[in-house]
Amino acid sequence: MMKFWNKRVQLGRLTENLVFDDEIESIEREIKDKVKKRFAGSLALRMVDSGSCNGCEAECNALSNPYYNLERLGIYFVASPRHADVILVSGVVTINMYHHLLDVYEQMASPKWVITLGDCPAMQGVFEKNFAIKAPIKNHLPVTHHIAGCPPEPKAIMEGLLEFLRKI
Amino acid sequence: MRFIARYAKDNINEFEIITVFDSRVESISVNKSTPKVKSLFYEYPASSWFERKIHDDFGIEFEESYDQRPLVWHERFPANCYPLQKSFTKKEIAFSDYKPYPYEVVEGDGVFQVSVGPIHAGIIESGHFHFSQSGERMLHQEIRHFYKNRGIEKMLEGKSLEEAKPIVARISGNESIAYQLCLNDILFQSSHKPIPLELQKYHALLLELERVVHHLTDLGFIPNDTGFASALAYCSKLSEDTRRWLKRLTGHRFGFGAITTIKPSIDIKAFKSWLEEMKKAIKFFESWILEIPSLLDRLEGTGILSKEEALTHSAVGIIARASGVAVDRREESAFYQEHGFTMTLKEKGDVYARFTLRIDEVKNSILLIENLLEEGAFEADDLGILEDGTYRSFCESSIGELFMSIEIQSGVIERFYVRDPSFVNWQLMHLMMRSDIIADFPLINKSCDLSYAGSDL
Repeated sequence: MMKFWNKRVQLGRLTENLVFDDEIESIEREIKDKVKKRFAGSLALRMVDSGSCNGCEAECNALSNPYYNLERLGIYFVASPRHADVILVSGVVTINMYHHLLDVYEQMASPKWVITLGDCPAMQGVFEKNFAIKAPIKNHLPVTHHIAGCPPEPKAIMEGLLEFLRKI
Repeated sequence: MRFIARYAKDNINEFEIITVFDSRVESISVNKSTPKVKSLFYEYPASSWFERKIHDDFGIEFEESYDQRPLVWHERFPANCYPLQKSFTKKEIAFSDYKPYPYEVVEGDGVFQVSVGPIHAGIIESGHFHFSQSGERMLHQEIRHFYKNRGIEKMLEGKSLEEAKPIVARISGNESIAYQLCLNDILFQSSHKPIPLELQKYHALLLELERVVHHLTDLGFIPNDTGFASALAYCSKLSEDTRRWLKRLTGHRFGFGAITTIKPSIDIKAFKSWLEEMKKAIKFFESWILEIPSLLDRLEGTGILSKEEALTHSAVGIIARASGVAVDRREESAFYQEHGFTMTLKEKGDVYARFTLRIDEVKNSILLIENLLEEGAFEADDLGILEDGTYRSFCESSIGELFMSIEIQSGVIERFYVRDPSFVNWQLMHLMMRSDIIADFPLINKSCDLSYAGSDL
């Protein structure tokens, strides 16, 4: 274990603002501030995959890597819709996921919001409407905010969450 | 003989069932008025999902089949509706009444059922796991997927290969490069031109980068599922670095749209110095992680798949190689042999074997990347006219052997079929659970890290 702690000291702090320069720093500061004011310091997100390629999920996982470290801003992913303020929906809403998605929304406590993640749920991606697809999601649930991209990069997701916080 | 895939095709006057083995391809025509075929289940258990899928998509019955429950379409899907038949052209389906799905369960005194999913606690794709439990012990598990079925096979019919490209790249985000490579191979096959070596090397380099991202993510998540979070922090940093390089080379963090006839020039100095850093980082990771007894205790002897079972169930990819079965599409290729590919096999088939195999494969992938690296830009000639026909292609994705078959008629896709390595591997995962407790399931699942999107289509 000593090996690890030696390495840990050598590596120092990785969480970086360098890549996106001052821009991400200001995003982070603002997110932290808004989360503190609007959600008493913690904004709980629930991720729902309604038929994605796993790209959006991978980018959400990347938000917890040492470079982005979203949790330090008070935003974190929770295990149940009953703990969530917001559901983050990715994917094209397949017919097999449709009822499960509506269930999730029903299980959430008010006040609750829906954010769509990536081009698929807004039907702006490459997938075409066919028998298996029920997107766009706004026909089925009230969508407060949309984060565009295929998939949106971690930085775009952070920006999107900030825009959402500004909106409500 | 290894079973690879079984799929059907609607030829208007008859159905055709195509069965692909590693050494040959068989085709049977099936009368449309009484569509019945003999099941291959007792010879090749892996054929089960393939046959259930064919039934759901085409309405073809399989005689002497062990399992005739619906697979890809779920409780509210209308009866007698077969979307892959050519006569099906609907853009919208009305839901029918809820028909419960009969799960395969173990029953008895004190035995209870645990349902997990389709929506999971973490940031994971949607799929369902149904456990029969005796206390903590898993007696049986049924995996039920296809929640994410987007109807991609039907969506691609009638499109040119060029139009299909962006969709194929997004079938499974984890394996996008592999999917694009299969399609690219089919494009070149249909033009009767060889893929230029420069392009081949660049594409293989991207494929190895994708493998490194995927393996590193797993190398972090497997220890994380035992509660050892610092490994995830360490590996997710490395996989993020790799993804950023993928973006630097292709303009996209997942390489969507990266496989074309153009190779960009590469900043070879910066790339090589990053590779050196990676080598050191992996070396450190290995020496550190494999010396933590409490972690190894969770990995060793958990989720065992024997070599016999892996062979019987036609396993591919990491799962097969960790159980000592030598299947890797790169092994048969002279191109890969020349560039330093070596196949690693493990014997035990447990989580530890799959974990250490991933470390070995990352190291070999970095060696391959070094050997494949070329600085200059390159552009292949125009492909010219593409000839109609049926083309098949294989590619070793980060999960395992990917198989794609496309039939082109009058310049557009008549039938698109792809078999993700996950499609066969999901079917044998329940075999790994028999000696373990339910808390080991996330660990076993992550050690296999199969794709839901690729298998669901």
